[in-house]
Amino acid sequence: MNFGFPHFMALLPVISLTVASVVVMLCTAFFRRHGLIAALTLLGLGITLACLHQQSGIAAIEVTPLMQFDRLSVFFSAWILVAAMVVTLLSWHYFRTREGLSEELYVLLLTATLGAVVMVSSIHFASFFLGLEILSVSLFALVAYPVTSLTRKDRSAASPIEAGIKYLILAGIASAMLAMGMAFLYAATGELSFSGIQTMLQTDAVHESRNLYAMGGIVMILAGVAFKLALVPFHMWTPDVYHGAPAPVTAFLATVSKFAMLVLILRAFLFARGDHPEAVIAVVTGVAAVSMLVGNLLALQQNNVKRMLAYSSISHSGYVLVAFLAGMVASTANAIKAEGIEVEAIAFYIVSYLLTSLTAFGVVSVLSSGRERVSYSRESGGNVDAETRDTDGLQDYESLFWKRPVMASVFAIALLSSAGIPLTIGFMGKFYIFAAGVTSALWWLLLVLIASSGIGLFYYLRLVLVMFRLPEGGHDGHGEEVMAPAQTTAAALVREIPVGARWLMVLLGGVILWLGVYPGPLMAEIRDILVAMRVAG
Amino acid sequence: MEMFTFYLTSIIILTSILMVVISANAVHSLLYLILSSLAMAVIFFQMGAPFAAALEVIVYAGAIMVLFVFVVMMLNLGQAAVEEERTLMPLGIWRGPALLAALLLAELAFLLFQQPVASLPVAVYAKQVGITLFGPYLLAVELASILLMAGLVGAYHLGRPLLKKSATRTHVRES
Repeated sequence: MNFGFPHFMALLPVISLTVASVVVMLCTAFFRRHGLIAALTLLGLGITLACLHQQSGIAAIEVTPLMQFDRLSVFFSAWILVAAMVVTLLSWHYFRTREGLSEELYVLLLTATLGAVVMVSSIHFASFFLGLEILSVSLFALVAYPVTSLTRKDRSAASPIEAGIKYLILAGIASAMLAMGMAFLYAATGELSFSGIQTMLQTDAVHESRNLYAMGGIVMILAGVAFKLALVPFHMWTPDVYHGAPAPVTAFLATVSKFAMLVLILRAFLFARGDHPEAVIAVVTGVAAVSMLVGNLLALQQNNVKRMLAYSSISHSGYVLVAFLAGMVASTANAIKAEGIEVEAIAFYIVSYLLTSLTAFGVVSVLSSGRERVSYSRESGGNVDAETRDTDGLQDYESLFWKRPVMASVFAIALLSSAGIPLTIGFMGKFYIFAAGVTSALWWLLLVLIASSGIGLFYYLRLVLVMFRLPEGGHDGHGEEVMAPAQTTAAALVREIPVGARWLMVLLGGVILWLGVYPGPLMAEIRDILVAMRVAG
Repeated sequence: MEMFTFYLTSIIILTSILMVVISANAVHSLLYLILSSLAMAVIFFQMGAPFAAALEVIVYAGAIMVLFVFVVMMLNLGQAAVEEERTLMPLGIWRGPALLAALLLAELAFLLFQQPVASLPVAVYAKQVGITLFGPYLLAVELASILLMAGLVGAYHLGRPLLKKSATRTHVRES
């Protein structure tokens, strides 16, 4: 095995993340200072980002058969790290004023980020599975982090422990399916690396459409992946877990966890050559159509913002699948490696999805934090739950614009971007997907996409409408009277939003708008990376 | 003949796993769980992986057993627990697992004393496993250690006593 200095340098971001998580853990053991630990975490993520930056033009290099570092992995790892930094800031802000010890959170955040980075650069089932497990195991604890189930009074509020257990069991089953699928594929091909399996599957002996083992393995792996992406037959956990988890963790779950899985299948997709079996295409088409429709239709009925965003994220996974399908159909027709607009569309869309949901959940998180601790301890024993729950009911957003114009505007931008309104990055992403679908002539699927986007528009705009509604008792929308707290939402108003959190959100909203108006550089970068990948592959 | 022993072991595994799932009592499930991992070890042995078979016995049957015993010891304290222990383990309960285990033992003895050691593929011993783990799969070993760390930190946090959270905090602040 050859492992030299270049391999070490390529591995540097992973090593740096590992060191950061160990240092943060040891630091937590000796100095329990929330600010210090959060700052150390940010520093670790920053150093890792610097390591990534220094190898931004790297040629593809295989570090052991497990991982490959190339421009694709560097690009997407950088996005993961940026999202992790935002989540770190959000959770510092969110847990600062809450009861309980909050320092372990950062260790778990770092390990989860490490798992995501490993997934992004893995070219082998072993590293894929390990990365996924590191991510999932960290997420189990993160979802259940504020252990408040014992004091729960209000049944309508979801408890983090409940969400954590749901996620633990269902993710466990999904992982078991994934492992079984890998075992089947290994039994059929004798290979565990993506490229090896792909070559073996093309040989006549184990051609996927003929070999039952290979077929079963592929279907089981698809099921495991679909669970992580919350695609429809495997979407049941999403609203409950997104709702029960603390808001910053939901932000992480919706962005980084999904993003890493999407990048991984994008990479596996790049290895795919030749035709895909009809059955797999049919299954994926069905899943995509149902995900788009079910996600959007169920979101219509939600009165909880976190649940609504969860259903919206289900439909977004469906949209991405359209681009994947376009690529699969194209490669069937031309019998060439998947390339061109489809892969570009996937890459662009997942970046736009990352930014949009990070902003949306970020706003929910910022609005849920910053409460005075006094109010908690004074009323402890009484209505604890109303004090600790997140600001996620629809009524909390009633006329938010007139109380918190900045946050409401950023939230509106994120929602419009989710809906795919022009001038936001979400529009560019959806446009890309649409173009990919048109290229491969997936008319029925595109029809479903248009219809479900139309349905989706309703609930995004309803939330925007609620936010911009004039407060009751306010005179006419002008003057100081309106700014006085409305009685019904007094609890939400106790919360102070520090300047830093506000600027962070404004920055994210600005990026969404900026990339929506001027997406050229990002598109050029993605195209550049894909060209480099094609040359290397 | 190999097929016969293979299927017999598989039936034992399936039976005991079924019993793990349907037993109402956790301790009974545990007995069957241990049995199923022992049977799994026999399967590995037949497949030509004696090292994996030994690991299966040591890690699963051994470590899980110890873990459960610890948990039972930590959960049950005092005289009432002793009484409960008696109801947990009525006399007859060992018969099912014992029967299956006896079958396994007979099968293993049969396999061991069979003259030409069944047409093995390639036997994989500890050395090959070690070379693979610390060769191409080096990163996987490292990643697995991080996985354990994440699990440990998470379990530590969730397992911390729920009561007196604010007391813990002020205590930590003061110290």
